[in-house]
Amino acid sequence: MKHVVKILSLLVAVSAFWIVLLQAAIVPQSHTLLLPIYFVVSLGCYGLLMVGIGIMQFPTCPQEADLLNHDIAEAKDFLSTNGIDIGTY
Amino acid sequence: MELADRAVGLLLSSISLSIFTYYTFWVIILPFVDSDHFIHKYFLPQDYAILVPVFAGVTLLSLLSVFIGMVILKSKKKKA
Repeated sequence: MKHVVKILSLLVAVSAFWIVLLQAAIVPQSHTLLLPIYFVVSLGCYGLLMVGIGIMQFPTCPQEADLLNHDIAEAKDFLSTNGIDIGTY
Repeated sequence: MELADRAVGLLLSSISLSIFTYYTFWVIILPFVDSDHFIHKYFLPQDYAILVPVFAGVTLLSLLSVFIGMVILKSKKKKA
C-alpha cells in the first residue's frame, strides 16, 4: 500500500510541475506540450540501452560449461549401461 | 558464443542511442533553430514527432494483447 502511495505522489508531482510549466510560458507552449511523450520515449530508450549493455556484459563461464558437458557425458554413460534408453531429442 | 552476444548487445545499444539522440534533436533542439536552416531537411515535420511514438506504442500494446489472448485461448482449448 505504501509503495503505491509513493509512486502516485511522484506522478502527481510530475504532472503538477508540467502544468505549472505550461502556465508560466517560459518556453513556448507547443514545446512544453511534447514533454511527457519525450520522457516516455526516453524511458523506453533507456530500458533498451540497459538491456543491450547487460547482453554485452553477460559473463560466460567456459570452465563451468566444460564441467557440465563432462557431467552430461558421464550421466549418459551411466544411464545407457544401466539399461535406460536416452534418445537425444 | 560470446562474439554473437556482444554484437547483438552492441546493435541494441546503438539503436537505442541513435533513437534517443534523433528524438532529442527533433523535440528539444529543432524548435529553437531558425526555420531556414539546412538541418530541417533531415527531420520530418514536427507533427510526426507525436504520431510516430504514439503509433509505435499502440502497435506494441495491441501485439501484446493479441499474444496474451492467443495464449489464453490455447490453454483453454487444451483444458477442454
